[in-house]
Amino acid sequence: MVAVRTVGVGKRYGGGETRIDALDDVSVDFGRGRFTAIMGPSGSGKSTLLHCLAGLDRPSAGQVWLGDVELTRLDEKALTHLRRDRIGFVFQAFNLVPTLSALENITLPLDLANRKPDREWLDKVITTIGLGDRLNHKPAELSGGQQQRVACARALVSRPDVVFADEPTGNLDSRSSADVLGFLHRSVREFGQTVVMVTHDPTAAAYADRVLFLADGRLESELPDPTAESVLDMMKQLDAHEAG
Amino acid sequence: MLKLGLRSVLAHRLRFVLCTVAVMLGIGFVSGAMIFTDTLSTALKKNFAGSTADITVTPVSALSDDTGTSSARPATLSSDLAHQIAAVPGVAGTDPQLLTTGPQILGSDGKPSDTYGLPTYGAGWPHDPRTAPFKLIDGKAPWGEGQLGLDQSTAQREGYELGDKVKVVTPAQAVTGTLTAITTPVLAGAAAGAPLVTFDPATGQRLLLGGPGWTSIGVAIQPGQDSAAVTKAIEAVAGKDATVRTAAQVSADGKNALDDTFGGFSTVLLMFAGLALFVGAFLIVNTFAMLVAQRSRELAMLRAIGASRGQVTGTVLAEGLVIGAIGSTLGLLLGGGVAAGLQFFYQRLDLAIPTAVLQISPETIITCYLLGIGITLAAAYPAARRAGKLPPVAAMRDDAMLPERSILVRVIIGAFMLLMAATVYAIAVNLKGLPAAVLLGLGAAITLLGVVMTSPLISRYAVRGLMSPFGRKAPVTLGRRNAERNPRRTSATASALMISLALVSGLVVIASSAKASVDKGITDAIGTSDLVVTRDGGNPFSGQVRDRIAEVPGITSVHRVRQMAGKVGDTSVRVAGVDEGTLDGPITAQVEAGTVSGLQPGQAIVPRNLARTLDLSVGKAFQLITTTGTHRLTVAGVIAPNRQLNAIALSLPGYTAIGGAASDSTLYVEVADGTSIATVLPTVVAKLQDYPAVQVRDQQAYAKGERGPINAILGVVGMLLALAILIAVLGIVNTLALGVVERTREIGLLRAIGMDRPQLRRMLQVESIAIALLGALLGLVIGVLFGASIQQVMADDGLAVLDIPVLQLVIAVLVAAAVGVLAAVWPSRRAARLDVLRAIATE
Ligand SMILES: Nc1ncnc2c1ncn2[C@@H]1O[C@H](COP(=O)(O)OP(=O)(O)OP(=O)(O)O)[C@@H](O)[C@H]1O
Ligand SMILES: [Mg+2]
Repeated sequence: MVAVRTVGVGKRYGGGETRIDALDDVSVDFGRGRFTAIMGPSGSGKSTLLHCLAGLDRPSAGQVWLGDVELTRLDEKALTHLRRDRIGFVFQAFNLVPTLSALENITLPLDLANRKPDREWLDKVITTIGLGDRLNHKPAELSGGQQQRVACARALVSRPDVVFADEPTGNLDSRSSADVLGFLHRSVREFGQTVVMVTHDPTAAAYADRVLFLADGRLESELPDPTAESVLDMMKQLDAHEAG
Repeated sequence: MLKLGLRSVLAHRLRFVLCTVAVMLGIGFVSGAMIFTDTLSTALKKNFAGSTADITVTPVSALSDDTGTSSARPATLSSDLAHQIAAVPGVAGTDPQLLTTGPQILGSDGKPSDTYGLPTYGAGWPHDPRTAPFKLIDGKAPWGEGQLGLDQSTAQREGYELGDKVKVVTPAQAVTGTLTAITTPVLAGAAAGAPLVTFDPATGQRLLLGGPGWTSIGVAIQPGQDSAAVTKAIEAVAGKDATVRTAAQVSADGKNALDDTFGGFSTVLLMFAGLALFVGAFLIVNTFAMLVAQRSRELAMLRAIGASRGQVTGTVLAEGLVIGAIGSTLGLLLGGGVAAGLQFFYQRLDLAIPTAVLQISPETIITCYLLGIGITLAAAYPAARRAGKLPPVAAMRDDAMLPERSILVRVIIGAFMLLMAATVYAIAVNLKGLPAAVLLGLGAAITLLGVVMTSPLISRYAVRGLMSPFGRKAPVTLGRRNAERNPRRTSATASALMISLALVSGLVVIASSAKASVDKGITDAIGTSDLVVTRDGGNPFSGQVRDRIAEVPGITSVHRVRQMAGKVGDTSVRVAGVDEGTLDGPITAQVEAGTVSGLQPGQAIVPRNLARTLDLSVGKAFQLITTTGTHRLTVAGVIAPNRQLNAIALSLPGYTAIGGAASDSTLYVEVADGTSIATVLPTVVAKLQDYPAVQVRDQQAYAKGERGPINAILGVVGMLLALAILIAVLGIVNTLALGVVERTREIGLLRAIGMDRPQLRRMLQVESIAIALLGALLGLVIGVLFGASIQQVMADDGLAVLDIPVLQLVIAVLVAAAVGVLAAVWPSRRAARLDVLRAIATE
């Protein structure tokens, strides 16, 4: 079962001399209930790909499918509602609305859709992030790791088809990173969630079922069932390839 | 630093436009008022120069404010005096003149010609055309009762040509004459621009004065004579009944009189200016606070690379300087436009206001720049100081926050001010009359300041309550939280609207109380009268009117009231003569002491409010000064304050005895029981065809007419409201727009996780409505309180009834809410257009 699929996706910025192909003919499938990591050097197009997958950006070529919906055909309003109802997103930082409490932030997508949260599911998600009595605190009163876990919970609360995370541990120390990654990992294992995550950290990538490597906007290679060592090896290999 | 400031203004062009507009509006009104006044006085100076007789002799009037509404005969000088003056050594010749107000010119349709509120003048044809305030431009001088002259403007307006029959009503009688002369004013004297009817001197004396005499004597002196010496000599001849002035004095006095007339206009303009600048200052304070907050990291970076505190403060102030300078310049241009518009408007009215090129004096320019830049700098200063205090490390921090001063000190000062205001109110309410009202005004100003100080605290709690009816959907909650997020900012924005609404609702309460008081005063005071007869502008009319009405079948009685101006000590008063029995029915007077019937000449009735000011009581004697001399009167009775008789009242014979003229100012008509007023009225009106200026109205129509001036005041209030709301809206738009810029990333995030555009719009609308309602309600409470207490202290002085126009005030609140919705339109459009990805990526 495929949750998200791209067919020949390209993204071009600018024109003439300053033309940049941030993505170039990327075709890839993301299986349902799988945890995929995307890696690659800075500027290789990871964020761009994620944005196109999540309906935040429109590719200049190719198609993106979420289940049987072709995102590239939807208008702005439909895309917005699709993001709200079927996609979860976690950014590197500034994920939360400062005026809302942690709990209100978590339920925000449901509130925007005017939907009642599924209590059982909500409780499960909340217990998993382990915020305890800090749920009613404002984001400014939470640590960076706690904020990222709240953001993950928000991404999960509407039971989206897929959760995208762009360097969710980029600003965290190893301990907090482990918390957040563990949470994403559990959501895949226990709840059957589909997760796509961009990261620079081999240890983080090791939590995934599969790692994709991007370079210069192109899909370079992939690694199933990664460990931190195998990811590091692959990265060295690709660097050498690049240099050579 | 100036360079950095300038760069910043250029980089944030849009954010500064609204600030600049606020400064511009305020300065526009200031400079408009100054330019208009300067232009007018330059024109007057020009026209007055060397245009009157060398020396002018006028009668001394006992009353400085002897206006046309008096039925007393104007003071005059005799022909004998003219002869005596002619005999004074050094005098070359005398020119007795006749110029007075009071006649009325009728249009060809028989209706009084519209004078735009100016008095109509009547004059005798001059003996010496060179010293007259008007000159002949067509036809020939009128001769005898059958001929007259008109000023060109009036003739053109009414379509009269030489040879036409023109009807004129003078205080003495109505006459019809052939138009033989068209005149035009030559001086910017009192009569310039006003309608003018001219007769030959003898006819003029009879029709306008009711007897012989002159209103002034112009004197020409022999060449080489010292005018001061001649003036002295004439003074000796004229005695103390006449004033002798040189040409220079006359022109100075005339200019002052005209300045007074138009000074009112400048005052209104300056009021608008004050309001615009005051409300605008809040807008500037807010904008700068937000700009500094937004740029805190950049400013901290400046500090980190070695800029001193003073330099950082300086960059921000430099922005204020640029805005102040641009706003003042635009304001000056706007002011020039306003003044030009006013001048054009007056000339269209054909009032022959002397013209001059628009006078933009250096004083105007300096004042406007000082004010505009000064206010902008003062408003920007708090933000600039905070910017200077930014620690350099803020540049390195992610969430660079300005050091937030605690609002505690502010709230304590505010609470103290509110306490002070309460004390002032308590003192004022126990006082009565005008001083108390002035004190209340002071109290209201302190209240406003106090509320402005405490409003961050108030807004913290008020916003939640105000927004509860809007439900708890996500956009509403978010919008409300945004309004609560920064109580200082919310309250500063709301304050602008609060001040506007306080002012307006206070005035509305006072005006509508005044209206209700007029109504009640009239129903209370006009007891059994079915019809009230008056003339336009309260002018007196011929005694024949009463006789004609009395002839109409179905009319049981007609009571007359005559009025003139007088003085007791230094207090100006009205003096009335009333028919016997007037106070027993036609006017309902509540007798508080003594008696009001069977008055003998020399006895007077005084209303309580006057009795209090003049310290009079029953049996006490006092001196009344009128144009005809000083009279000793005794108080026979004291009545409750009475709208229809706010005067020292005498019996009709008593009134005549002290020199009151035989023309009436009001008639009270009773219709027989069983006869309907509607059937009598047309007959009465038909009988009075010769007196077109006389109005016959039933109680309701009369009350409506009396309310007219209040409506005019309400018109001005309406314009104030519009202006104040305009600026307050600018403030809200600015706050929201800056808020959108400031929260770009947050909005991007909301959009990314699925907030659609209508929801985004709703969110900003809610924030905007919360601010608007907060300001409106606070303003309303303060304004109504102020209006109601003014009514309390002025209860005896024309504001007997408190009337709070609930509907109008509710509408004001709804308008405020609508303003909130409107103010959000543009910022939310901008917010909706934000590119999600770019928004998320912004710093
Ligand atoms: N709005 C834009 N306009 C022009 N070029 C852009 C834009 N956004 C991204 N790019 C370019 O596209 C390329 C891919 O950018 P992208 O942000 O996807 O890289 P990334 O792999 O996420 O890098 P990093 O690891 O540093 O986050 C880069 O060369 C970048 O400069
Ligand atoms: Mg990236």
